[in-house]
Amino acid sequence: MSASILNDLTLCVGCGTCVQACREANGLPKAPPDAPLSGTHFSRLTVVDGLGVRQQCMHCVDPACASVCPVGALKKSPAGPVTYDPDACIGCRYCMVACPFDVPRYTWSSQAPRVAKCTMCSERMAKGATQPACTAACPTGATEFGERDALLAKAHLRIKEHPDRYVDHVYGETEAGGTQILYLSPVSFEALGFRTKLQHSAYPELTWYALSKLPTVVSAAGVGLVGLWWIIHRRDKLAQEASHV
Amino acid sequence: MSSSSRWLTPWRAATVVILSAGLWATLTRFGGSLSAATNMQDASPWGLWVGFDVLVGVGLAAGGFAIAATVHVFGLKKYAPIARPAVLTAFLGYVLVVVGLLFDLGKPWNGWHPLVMWNPHSVMFEVTWCVMLYSTVLLLELSPLLFDKLGLEAPKRWIHRGYIGLVIAGVLLSMMHQSSLGSLFLIVPDKLHGLWYTPWLPVFFFVSAVAAGLAMTIIESYLSHRAFGRELEGSLLSGLGRAMAVVLGLFLVARTADLALRGNLGLAFAPTEEAVMFWGEMGLGVLLPIALLSRRAVRGSREGLFFAALLAMLGFVLGRLNVGITGMRAASGVDYMPSWMELAVSASLVVLGFMAFGWAVRNLGVFGPSREAHIRPPVAPPILGRASLLQLWGLAAAGLVLVLAVRDREASAAAPPPPPAVTHLEFEEPEALRLPAPFTFPHEDETVGPVTFDHRTHAELKPANCATCHDGRWSLVERGKLLVDLELVHDGVLDEGKLCGSCHDGKTAFDLKEDCESCHAELDGED
Repeated sequence: MSASILNDLTLCVGCGTCVQACREANGLPKAPPDAPLSGTHFSRLTVVDGLGVRQQCMHCVDPACASVCPVGALKKSPAGPVTYDPDACIGCRYCMVACPFDVPRYTWSSQAPRVAKCTMCSERMAKGATQPACTAACPTGATEFGERDALLAKAHLRIKEHPDRYVDHVYGETEAGGTQILYLSPVSFEALGFRTKLQHSAYPELTWYALSKLPTVVSAAGVGLVGLWWIIHRRDKLAQEASHV
Repeated sequence: MSSSSRWLTPWRAATVVILSAGLWATLTRFGGSLSAATNMQDASPWGLWVGFDVLVGVGLAAGGFAIAATVHVFGLKKYAPIARPAVLTAFLGYVLVVVGLLFDLGKPWNGWHPLVMWNPHSVMFEVTWCVMLYSTVLLLELSPLLFDKLGLEAPKRWIHRGYIGLVIAGVLLSMMHQSSLGSLFLIVPDKLHGLWYTPWLPVFFFVSAVAAGLAMTIIESYLSHRAFGRELEGSLLSGLGRAMAVVLGLFLVARTADLALRGNLGLAFAPTEEAVMFWGEMGLGVLLPIALLSRRAVRGSREGLFFAALLAMLGFVLGRLNVGITGMRAASGVDYMPSWMELAVSASLVVLGFMAFGWAVRNLGVFGPSREAHIRPPVAPPILGRASLLQLWGLAAAGLVLVLAVRDREASAAAPPPPPAVTHLEFEEPEALRLPAPFTFPHEDETVGPVTFDHRTHAELKPANCATCHDGRWSLVERGKLLVDLELVHDGVLDEGKLCGSCHDGKTAFDLKEDCESCHAELDGED
């Protein structure tokens, strides 16, 4: 199971129901659908010349936020969503720095602040919901829940059947190493404000490359230091004995 | 400590002011919230407390492992007199880093979680562990001072026996987390400016930390000499100065080569704020100290060495702030500047560090028993000669003017706001599907927001009737009762001059009245 969402911009009529459903499911205060993501706003819908663009956590296949979290408060669930445990969180906010999509927000004015972001309704689904509130509420199927592989196949089929209607790219298929949230668009993603200069491999590889070298480097340095100390120490000792004789 | 009759010296007044401001900021931070005390925000989640308290604090404490290794591993015993003050500085540095982190963490009471909740893939996790372990090592390295004070001989002997193990463990732990502070930023290749982002960040952080540690040791030896009238061996400091110049030189060559190889050297000569800050870091903090220390006259004079070390330290501080704040600014889209309360907390931590150092020197035999007996009455030459002071202020002023000029230029360059990304969508429509632009029903009291009606979506939804969209949440029927006057809507849709009918009149577009099946699919074939 790899829960995923496909957003087809050509199907969206911009009603904002997805955002309202998100607010109701998460008990968040009322705000217009295009209000920026914040500590109390996990999902956004911006209409750019008739095209409704959703913004929420991308739920990366190999998420930077979960890899940098020192206590594992953010976790990639095997089911797909990136989940968050506020009780484990220490509040270092490294996740916010690391996220290539700048999604996680923080409740700065709270005395017990927390990271705020979409969790693909994983709590609700654990209680029996069959799909996230946003996709369940969408009247047109513009935001659709399903298996990642199935949705990817569906997206490519739509491009193949209507090459005139879509740009030939599924955003999220490879961006940042792949994300659970996928997009189809009739115009270039760059023009819509999507981040298009991201790398196409997973971000955690960058830090792991350095971290995984530490044991070797430290062992070598340790052996070197002990060796140096032994040689120098022994040389001093011999010199001392020689001067006593 | 002095026979001075004045109790209110300028230094003490400054201390009182800083600590009072720090206390106020502390109450605001913990009584209120992070947003009450700081300028940090979603777009710039790390501020001064990470950039200075942690990145700089840990680096300046690097003198501890560098000098300990010099004396105990490399056997250069002549540096032994400065080993303990250097270790003490390092220990105090780490205590202050931890205190600084308690301010910065959103939930400091969860600060112990990394002990039991492990994520070995996180650089932050590794740094946390190394800092905790190294603080313990430093405390053990210093413990003989306490055992002396308490007259405990046995534990002192145990520590003495295992001392070399402690030193080597300290060096290894330092190597790991000094470099890892740089690794923290490896995961933001798209956000950190090209003058600083490189896969070699961990190596550069380690090398610059060694230089900063040496600089800090020179500064602290010189200041102790002034404050406590301590004897100083000139050759000691000049040896440290020479070592610092070598490490800085290594850093300079590696950093330049890396920038050149990645084709980013040109960024240093672009008229940007980043470039100015880069030159502050590399010019003031690396090139200038190397140039100064290459002169025998500078290496031979305590004031000259102190001045060069001070420059290197300022360069180091700038370098860390550049990675933590300056280099991340452009990508963040906001102009983060620390609040006065953030500054007050950082300044208070520095002042507390100085006070703790002074207390330890007076109450523990930090400088070794033989030397304590020879303490002379304080000699207080001016900290810096007038010429050096003028030069320093001149450089700072020039830097400030440059930054302001560049910011001004950038602001005026950015003045015309970029046009909206998409103004009109060019559909390449087949002739049969030439559709007008989408239009928007405005936001009214009973609706959640504006609804954009897209003809294409409407034409291609199957089936494309009212219920295609108006089902479920937006159902037009509630408990068997129609919520809208369907007839009114139906007429509105068809009526010429209203809604859909205003175009679908058979002239501008096909007439809806002629084609009932287009909405009422079930009518197909009937009638």
